[in-house]
Amino acid sequence: MSAAIDMGIFAETVFAIAEEVFTAMIDPEPGALQPALEPTELSEDATWAWVDVHGEHPGRVMLGTDHDTAMLLTRALLAVPEDEAVSEADFVDAVGEIANVVGGNIKALVPDPGPLTLPQVAPVPPGDGATLLHRAQLVWRGHPLVITLWSLS
Amino acid sequence: MSLRVVVADDSRVMRQIVIRTLRQAGYQWDITEASDGAESLRLAQDLDPDLVLSDWNMPEMSGIEMLRAMQAEGLDIPLGFITSESSQEMREQADAAGALFLITKPFTAETFRDTIDPFLA
Repeated sequence: MSAAIDMGIFAETVFAIAEEVFTAMIDPEPGALQPALEPTELSEDATWAWVDVHGEHPGRVMLGTDHDTAMLLTRALLAVPEDEAVSEADFVDAVGEIANVVGGNIKALVPDPGPLTLPQVAPVPPGDGATLLHRAQLVWRGHPLVITLWSLS
Repeated sequence: MSLRVVVADDSRVMRQIVIRTLRQAGYQWDITEASDGAESLRLAQDLDPDLVLSDWNMPEMSGIEMLRAMQAEGLDIPLGFITSESSQEMREQADAAGALFLITKPFTAETFRDTIDPFLA
């Protein structure tokens, strides 16, 4: 995927894509999502969601955040009040869809992309030897998020 | 006018967001949900809806496969895609198969109105 995506363009574009997704689906308040000014680390209790792009330049787009933040994102996406329970199925569905929409838009940067896989969600990232190409660090209302691009070649 | 509409997406969360956004756009439609292309095809056969709004990438049967299957059966039901990916190849496939439009996620109520209203006139 590295040969297919201009990393300079990706770095500039990934925040714009994430901001558009957050504004439309999660949090319409301007400035709620910001680039992280300092390096951020996620807790051990994290949630990872990713989609893979098949084709000539196989790659992966992955979203990572603390589990509590992922739950806040789920509540915001579904407009579920704080005193209402969220099922595990809806949690996995919601976090996966955020990765799916972000990944679908990032895929548009790849020339002649192949199909996108259905989203996967897990407490640990996949350990399949993918090569990290880029790591974008973001902050949503004080909560750290990372969006990473991987080559599967 | 209350249209009968099928919203097809394998994500229940995304179906809820699509339906919520349709309401925000002012469409008070009679909506039936489908969780994949095969279920959407069955609903199209059974309900003869006025419109199908479908995701592209779904298990069992993709949105484009479902549209082609509808046409192969002679079901002339308008269909628009709402999908997280939209390559030029996909747009060409959608056009060739007779889809009305292709909306890329994320979307807003304004996106829905701008895209769908011309087909309701």
